[in-house]
Amino acid sequence: MRCIQGHVFLIICFKEAWPGRRISRNGQWRSVATGVLVFVMLMLLTGCQLAQSSFSRTTSNAGAAFSSAALTLRYVHSGKITSAYARSAFMNYQSELQGLDQKLTSQNNAPDPRTVEQLLNLYKPAIHVINQPCLDASCNWRSQLNLLMQAEQAFLKAGEQ
Amino acid sequence: MKKWFSIALGLVTATGGFLDAGTIATAGESGSKFGLGLIWAIVLATLAIILLVEMVGRFTAVSKKPYAAAIREEFGFGFYLFPLMSEIIAESLLLAAELGGIAIALSLFTGVSWHVLFPVAALLVFVMAWRAPFDWIENGPALFGLLMFSFIIAIIALGGPSRESLVTLWRPEIKQGELADYLYLVAATLGATISPYLLHFYSSGAREEGWSGSSLLLNRVTALLGMGFGSIGSIAILLLSAIVLQPLHMQATSLGEIGLAMAQPFGSVGALLFAGVLFTTCLGAALECLLALSYNVSQGFGWEWGEGKKPVEAARFNLLIIVFLCIAFVIGILGFDPLQLALFASTVIALFLPISLLPFLVIMNDPQYLGEKINGRWTNIAVMGILLMAFVVAIVSIPLELLSGGG
Repeated sequence: MRCIQGHVFLIICFKEAWPGRRISRNGQWRSVATGVLVFVMLMLLTGCQLAQSSFSRTTSNAGAAFSSAALTLRYVHSGKITSAYARSAFMNYQSELQGLDQKLTSQNNAPDPRTVEQLLNLYKPAIHVINQPCLDASCNWRSQLNLLMQAEQAFLKAGEQ
Repeated sequence: MKKWFSIALGLVTATGGFLDAGTIATAGESGSKFGLGLIWAIVLATLAIILLVEMVGRFTAVSKKPYAAAIREEFGFGFYLFPLMSEIIAESLLLAAELGGIAIALSLFTGVSWHVLFPVAALLVFVMAWRAPFDWIENGPALFGLLMFSFIIAIIALGGPSRESLVTLWRPEIKQGELADYLYLVAATLGATISPYLLHFYSSGAREEGWSGSSLLLNRVTALLGMGFGSIGSIAILLLSAIVLQPLHMQATSLGEIGLAMAQPFGSVGALLFAGVLFTTCLGAALECLLALSYNVSQGFGWEWGEGKKPVEAARFNLLIIVFLCIAFVIGILGFDPLQLALFASTVIALFLPISLLPFLVIMNDPQYLGEKINGRWTNIAVMGILLMAFVVAIVSIPLELLSGGG
């Protein structure tokens, strides 16, 4: 769902705070305060959240990292990147995703325990792929790709909640 | 002929030297998260840096004094310590991020962990800073930095941004809970582009090359066209991320991910081109940042300085190079991800920006230094606009860093 369309709020604030005519310094400060107040009220009225909950942030970041890992795996097997490049990229995904299971279980604002359990069930095989990606033809990279994509979709969906 | 060669070289240097770990990180993350919705922030920051670079160059060419020495002379030692301390904190973080950027680029070439390659990156920067003459440092990495124009060819090969994506140029799509991320990236983009180290390096470089009143044309061309063309690199990275990474829900949270956008049109050559650009731009920026810190302290304290001088002739200046490199090395080996460190450093720079830029308003209007070349009315209004923007960004940068979880 869209929270705001572009800079509409900022423009309203600016107009409130910066009248085209000359006014006293006190008047200017009052206008700035009114602008800020209007900004805050509009945000509250439209239910606009400034930042995501920590659960949403954690899961959407993990989803994005799984998505990157899936693309890297696909690219290395289609010859679009070298295996050295892929190995280096996977090391970064590893450090991004390591310990996510503990992070998920410690989140207070998770929607329900079942969602967390489902995510953990997908996380375990996916992190195994991240730790030991199949970067040559000797192993079944397609099944690894499927695991990564399943994790990506579930985590991104959880991040939207 | 020599004059036109200098102008062309200055132009190439400024263009190729524009990108660094901070600008690559912010542009990549902006494009993958908000499409084209943050191009305006890059354009705004570029206009500000063009103005500031032109002023600092004009000041140094006419007064024959570097910016740091003038701050101390005009405001006294007590005041000088404020911008100095803030710049040491922010730029040490940035230097660590640049070293990390070099290590990651080497890692993308070799497949070896960037943690292992981090000391190699630090050693490379040390050798270059210690032994290479100033014009090598200034022009060498910047010339290779021109490889960034391959990003533009990649955008053309990909067919440019989609119609839906183009709409985000003037109507950014900010989803529920992403406003803090968006504003954080605005602050980080401004901090990454308007880096005080660039001003100190430029000012000191003008002294190293013996600029005078006759160098004002060179200064104007370098600032206006060089920085202007340089920002094309940032915008191109943002566009590439928006075209390739955003539809796949990727967030460009590591530097290697940004290179995948180049692999789509050009295959492994594209990905390695990205790694090459990352390597040269981070190497150039690390050298500039390291030298700028050492210049700043030496000029403020009145010590002998100069990259052209032998270490024994400018001993304390050269000692500072080692000290600042060691500080950055220690920050780097703590294991922070270079991209996240670059974003954080950009936020810290944004936080301290007003302190670094405030002296401009005074010294650029002092006829004792500049004679008739002082700022005009409109330039002063523009500087005040930049300062106002810097104050707003400084106030919101850290709360946004906390709210957005660092991007």
